[in-house]
Amino acid sequence: MGSLALYRAIKSGWINFWRNFWLSAAATLVMVITLSILTLTLITFNVTNVAVKNIQERVDISVYFKGKVAEPQILNIKSHLEAMPEVASINYISADKALSDFRAKHAGNALIEESLAQLPDNPLPATLQIKAKSLDQYPAIATELAKPDYQTYVQKVNFEDNRTVIERLSRVLNTVKKLGVGMAIIFSFIAVLVIFNTIRLTIYNRREEVEIMKLVGATNWYIRWPFIVESILYGIAASIITILMTIPILNYLLPRLNLYLGTMLNDQTSAFSLSHIFLLQLGIALLLGIISSTIAIRRYLRV
Amino acid sequence: MIRFENVTKLYKDKKALEDINLEINHGEFVSLVGQSGAGKSTLLKLIFAEEKLDSGRILIDEVDIASLSETEIPYLRRKIGVVFQDIKLLPKKTAFENVGFAMEVAGYAREKIERDVPRILEIVGLKDKIMNFPAEMSGGEKQRVAIARALAHKPVLLIADEPTGNLDEINSYEILDLLHKINNLGTTVILATHARDLVNKIQKRVVTMETGRVAYDQAKGHYKL
Repeated sequence: MGSLALYRAIKSGWINFWRNFWLSAAATLVMVITLSILTLTLITFNVTNVAVKNIQERVDISVYFKGKVAEPQILNIKSHLEAMPEVASINYISADKALSDFRAKHAGNALIEESLAQLPDNPLPATLQIKAKSLDQYPAIATELAKPDYQTYVQKVNFEDNRTVIERLSRVLNTVKKLGVGMAIIFSFIAVLVIFNTIRLTIYNRREEVEIMKLVGATNWYIRWPFIVESILYGIAASIITILMTIPILNYLLPRLNLYLGTMLNDQTSAFSLSHIFLLQLGIALLLGIISSTIAIRRYLRV
Repeated sequence: MIRFENVTKLYKDKKALEDINLEINHGEFVSLVGQSGAGKSTLLKLIFAEEKLDSGRILIDEVDIASLSETEIPYLRRKIGVVFQDIKLLPKKTAFENVGFAMEVAGYAREKIERDVPRILEIVGLKDKIMNFPAEMSGGEKQRVAIARALAHKPVLLIADEPTGNLDEINSYEILDLLHKINNLGTTVILATHARDLVNKIQKRVVTMETGRVAYDQAKGHYKL
């Protein structure tokens, strides 16, 4: 296709786009809804995903030892646990270390310093912080620690609390994925239908022109391109509108989520970069538009 | 330039054309006459590949139309200009734009369109109506615009299917004169009509069709039916 034919196809598609303004507005709107749902799903999915990862990283099993347990005994248990295939690493924090960490953390707090000084000995237990290689291996480690052998030494094992949080988040993640993808598919289908219908109407409105074009020897693609251009314009318009709506939402949401999750979402995944989101929206919008116009052309444009 | 060899065309088992053999040479002016339903329009549609034949061959400049691919048919159509009884102008375009549109479609550049369209409209006698819309013109004037459009890409063959069907006598003769003028400039003209007086005035070749067959083919013919 020469540049002249390309120019004329774009011009003609542009005219089609504006000639039936409300029809075009409806087609663009339904595309905007589809893209918004998609974007929202994407953002929610990624936020939840980051949150889960974040909490997973913070998950460990902390084993608090009773005060009278001697250090060699603890180290013995540590090396025993390290032999387990599920265990990735174990961090030993002695009671003294725990106390000095605590002091350092609350340095300058007169009340705490005074309270500590009045205690006869170190109130903090020695601790083993165990990290598993993956999340689903924690129960095995927990079961091991629940054995009677350990009960003599261990004061407390904390694990269960985190697990419920993680399980709940995973469920949210799954629901978001299913719901979002489902809605996106449904609305993509609606968008295809609406654009298909719009292009069909344009073809109908321009049937005389098409007939004459054929008669005077227009090539098939010369006749078809303006309709495809029209659907591409719907896609471009819809993705621009959607990204303009996305910008303030992200600007509002990101700092708050960062604060809440204690992380920089922008650094963790490219899913929150505007250019990425826009390219994705544009890509999907163009794909939907071209699919619908191609079906309409095949069905209704007899060339 | 056009040769029909044993051409048959069916519409749902009914024979619209049966065993047509016909040859039309470069520069000829051929009147195609016959009653409605005799097969005139079908025969013309076969030439510009609007319809496909069921058996036989149609050769245009020794090329079998049936051998043309979908992408080659537009180029065949650029060799042929077509004019209809119902004119088919675009109502929202001026005379200039209606003719220019046909040239755009054929891929002509803007400058050439702006230079050629006024000339073509002058040939058909519409120099003063270049910027008028179809609604502002008489039936005869509209048909002239349609003829100008058909001539825009300089066809070697002009097909006119009942071009005077909706026109009064004076306008009909004017259109006929115009077709003669175009023919004298070297374009082959095929005129389908059932206007008896018109045909008798032309004094050129007349092909008469009856129920899908060529009944008479006379070098200097009259309307026979």
